[in-house]
Amino acid sequence: MILENLRSALEALAGNRLRSVLTLLGVMIGVFAVTTTISLGAIATAGITGQLQSFGNQALFITPNEDNPASTAFDDADVDALSRIPVNVLRQRSVRGVARVGTEEAPLSVNGVTANAPQVDRTIKLARGRYFTEAEDRRAAPVMVLSPDARDALFPVGANPVGREVSVTVGASRTFYTVIGVKEPLTGAFSFAASASADIPLQTLYLTYPAVTRGEYPFLPVTVSLERDLRDVEAQVDAVLTRRRGADTFRIQTIEGALTLFNTITTILQAVLGGIGAISLLVGGIGILNIMLVSVTERTREIGLRKALGARKGVILQQFLIEAVVLTLVGGLVGLGAAVGALYLAVALVPFLDTVVLSPWTLLLGLFVSVATGVVFGVWPASRAANLSPIEALRYE
Amino acid sequence: MRPRPGDAGSAPRPPVIDARALDKVYVMEGGFEVRALRGLDLQVDRGEYIAIMGPSGSGKSTLLQILGCLDAPTSGSYRLAGQEVAHMDEDALAEVRNRRIGFIFQAFNLLSRASAVRNVALPLMYRGVRAGERTERAAAALARVGLADRLHHRPNELSGGQRQRVAIARALVTEPDILLADEPTGNLDSRTGEEILALFDAIHREGRTVLMVTHEADVARRTERIVHILDGRVEASVRVEVGAP
Repeated sequence: MILENLRSALEALAGNRLRSVLTLLGVMIGVFAVTTTISLGAIATAGITGQLQSFGNQALFITPNEDNPASTAFDDADVDALSRIPVNVLRQRSVRGVARVGTEEAPLSVNGVTANAPQVDRTIKLARGRYFTEAEDRRAAPVMVLSPDARDALFPVGANPVGREVSVTVGASRTFYTVIGVKEPLTGAFSFAASASADIPLQTLYLTYPAVTRGEYPFLPVTVSLERDLRDVEAQVDAVLTRRRGADTFRIQTIEGALTLFNTITTILQAVLGGIGAISLLVGGIGILNIMLVSVTERTREIGLRKALGARKGVILQQFLIEAVVLTLVGGLVGLGAAVGALYLAVALVPFLDTVVLSPWTLLLGLFVSVATGVVFGVWPASRAANLSPIEALRYE
Repeated sequence: MRPRPGDAGSAPRPPVIDARALDKVYVMEGGFEVRALRGLDLQVDRGEYIAIMGPSGSGKSTLLQILGCLDAPTSGSYRLAGQEVAHMDEDALAEVRNRRIGFIFQAFNLLSRASAVRNVALPLMYRGVRAGERTERAAAALARVGLADRLHHRPNELSGGQRQRVAIARALVTEPDILLADEPTGNLDSRTGEEILALFDAIHREGRTVLMVTHEADVARRTERIVHILDGRVEASVRVEVGAP
């Protein structure tokens, strides 16, 4: 009986192909939206986590406590004390200026860092040339390593900037630097941080820009080797800085913290997009409702005949429910297919998404939602059909 | 007239249709009432071949609906094959329709999307017969009405006469106690109508009970008894002389 009902449902839907397709469009879009948002969240999280792991180091980021007016920048003694834990601490100061090569001109952020920067920040990889050495730092050599954005802004495509001179104007002072290296583009999760910048030795920065106070650091990036427990290290850092500076004068941020923030954003996004999905499912469901009511009216005589031949209410109810569910299920399957396609496309196009994560639960949820839409919005038309009086129905023109 | 059960010299078997004092009142919009049947009595023995005639508005359609268990009388008693069906609920009536009654409509009422054999198998499905057996019995019923070679044709691939044959096969397939036909030749040309009536004659000769609503005297004269309905009552019940023109 169910099979026969399924068969007549398919025949009825195939008999009105255009109408059926238009009707299932709403459900399709709803299921597509719901499935895509859920999976996209999972994929993005997996991408970010993977990127952080490929970073190869555990990282902390120490800043002064902005809520505490007494909290000041960090000094060299702080860095030395932390280095004894031991952790890698990067001393870094920045100035902003305008870079010029020939007629090309671009704003540039100039970062004075110590020569161990590539060890502390593992995202630093060189496409050309080399990083500066400790000796160059000590003697304040006028050398710079360009970020890819800075190179693109200042040099023609394909040109090798290594060995060329760049003039940088900061305030009234103009200084010439020799380019010794170009960094690889930042990939994955960090690519949003890309900007036109250049690394120079910290001592060079101090020498060139006397307005920058020596030995004062507005933040301290710290990395810890993977073998060590990050929480232990965090506790040690906390103890060292508390002893030296007093409690509540600094904040320690971890990547985990950043991940939590990221997860919060993802969740909000999912909620918003999921809400859109729910609304389109509702609209799709109303479409189903409408088309099923039309279908019941159109087939009043058929219903009357079936009743005359001995169909009970329940059977007619089942027939029209199956029809609604088949409609939404097909819409759901098409929506799921489109969602899977869209996810692969997204992973192929968006740099920080690595792999397609498709939980079977998500797919099941998509199917369940489509079936539920069919049942919820099919029940009323189906019960209207089931409750038709056979004589009235047979007489219907 | 043949003696009726309950009359002196009662028949050995109870009538297949025993309707007594049937009243049917329709309450129309606005609250006024229409009495379609006014204490109608009708008894039909097994194997009878009956024509029901009457002007429009006489109540013959209402009678057919009640005899077909499509509608319940407002009051009165209707025993079908010994079972009181006048006040059953809807699902019970559905089962009675399925098991005891075969309908043949003027407009054939076939499912346009289904093949002949599936149309005929439909009432068996509602009875819960398994698919294989359904098809077998439907094919046999179609063979009986001369459509053994049209099993998988859809209604739109069949002529009007063939469609009505499919409908007759559908009515026969459940081996019902009574066949109810509502103007079965009304949508057919006279030659095809003649073929269909010959089929009804043959079905009757096999011992089936056939009630046919018609407004054509020629058609009615082929039956054994003509029941004239007027103003919701049986006005006359006339036996047709065998061999009448």
